[in-house]
Amino acid sequence: MNGKKSSETHLSRREFLGLSALGLGISLAGARSASAAPPAASPDDVAILYDPVKCVGCRACQMACKRWNKLPNESTDPLGIYESPRDLSAITWNIIKLRRTAVGWHFFNYQCQHCTDAACVEVCPTGALSHDPMGFVALDREKCNGCGYCTQFCPYGVPHLQIADILTGAAKSAKCTFCQDRLRSGIGGPSCAEACPVGALTWGKRGDLLEKARARVAELQAQGMNARIYGENEAGGLHRLSILLDEPEQYGLPSVPKTPAFARAWQRIIQPLGNVAFGAALAGILGVFLFVRRKIRMEEVR
Amino acid sequence: MTVQLKGRAEAITIQWIPKYTTLERAAHWLHTATFVPLAITGMILYFPFLQPLAQGPAGMTFRLIHRVAAVIFGLLPIVYFIFQPRRLILNIREFLPSKDDIGWLKGAPAYYLLGRHEAMPPQGRFNAGEKMNGLIMIVAWFVFGLTGVPMWFGKGVIPPEVFRWLVVFHDLAMIVSVCMFLVHLYLAVAHPLMWAGLVSMRFGVTSAEYAAEHHAKWYYGPKRAMEIWEAKKREAAQKGGH
Repeated sequence: MNGKKSSETHLSRREFLGLSALGLGISLAGARSASAAPPAASPDDVAILYDPVKCVGCRACQMACKRWNKLPNESTDPLGIYESPRDLSAITWNIIKLRRTAVGWHFFNYQCQHCTDAACVEVCPTGALSHDPMGFVALDREKCNGCGYCTQFCPYGVPHLQIADILTGAAKSAKCTFCQDRLRSGIGGPSCAEACPVGALTWGKRGDLLEKARARVAELQAQGMNARIYGENEAGGLHRLSILLDEPEQYGLPSVPKTPAFARAWQRIIQPLGNVAFGAALAGILGVFLFVRRKIRMEEVR
Repeated sequence: MTVQLKGRAEAITIQWIPKYTTLERAAHWLHTATFVPLAITGMILYFPFLQPLAQGPAGMTFRLIHRVAAVIFGLLPIVYFIFQPRRLILNIREFLPSKDDIGWLKGAPAYYLLGRHEAMPPQGRFNAGEKMNGLIMIVAWFVFGLTGVPMWFGKGVIPPEVFRWLVVFHDLAMIVSVCMFLVHLYLAVAHPLMWAGLVSMRFGVTSAEYAAEHHAKWYYGPKRAMEIWEAKKREAAQKGGH
């Protein structure tokens, strides 16, 4: 053993660098392109603004959504309340809810909030959920494999799985798409906003709508209402802005949506650390393999 | 059994002693045959660069394979427990940490990298590395099951706050067990000192000489094993003193 040259018994510099590169490569292979900082919405994005004071609860928006997106009817429990269906589902992407707030009972339109910092987009492993250049959260059902992460990470409980088989897991995610097909083909705006007869739901450029919302909030405050805008900064800025007359919780909306941060911690901290572990393990094993191959002779082993 | 090895003049005689039952070996290989596809199909949702495979019908097929493999993976230890509960308990007991593990840690680099046998104090039926592999796989089995079953059937039933943690813990169990698997694979398949491991898992037996060398406390009993090792150390020290 003593007579051997050091290059035969130890790893050469080239091998060591190669192994380090392998480890680093594997560590980076799983890395995601963007940083861990949440993105911000642009005033040129499209958005929807909802004004619950103007809403008369006619549900034209709900009907228009069903009609344009060809969603079937849903039978609901006859509970004697206004909400029908009670909640969003895979075939109901837009509903009018009845909410009790500081000013009494009033209507509240519920749909996808189209976050800028969208937890659903962050966790989607297929790219089926994505940020459209226009700002809203688009859904490509062809790409969806039905894993359902989006349904569990959305802070608003919006995406729902259309489950074909619970055993095999065959399913497709479904949610309001901002009528992506209408916007992309230039037919017009989202069907709900286009259908609203009283101007409670309107759509346009996000910057313009925010200005409009601020003016409206000032007007309502002058009337003595505790009005505020929801969605200006929540989750990086929503593309569905709402005027609220009470705390967000009274509407079933979180004051601070926490899941985008949770999703990022999982996808951009824990998973990359896992990749570092894989890289280190593989490079280490290969290094030990190359080293041991020279150090231990099989013929000498009992 | 006599074996003629290449590069050696005379044939050597190997005395084989039993190490694993048939069920244990079958369970081990079925575990392998399900762990690998589970890891691969799981990583399709894990690695962003594998996204094309995760999409649409292909993605659904991989999720289905993951579920089929998961059922077998989940049932194996239960079948083992039903048919050979004493063996299972014996093995788990031997996986538990002991004083020998500290000696193994100290001796491991010289032993595994340089092949210095005298650096490694006598070990039991499983050494600390094998124990670590066994324990990690047992813990991972529980974590995979306790997180995976609710992820399969619990969407919309369990609170999303809980579900999110299940996904994270499923990932963590995968990261730890896959790293352990890679090390285990190398040691079992390619490390020259560990040649008998693969033989044991394939045929259920190990060489008596190998057992005496690598698992002395199991082969000789703890007391005798320590005596032999002390003697060996003295001998080595005397040689070194000349």
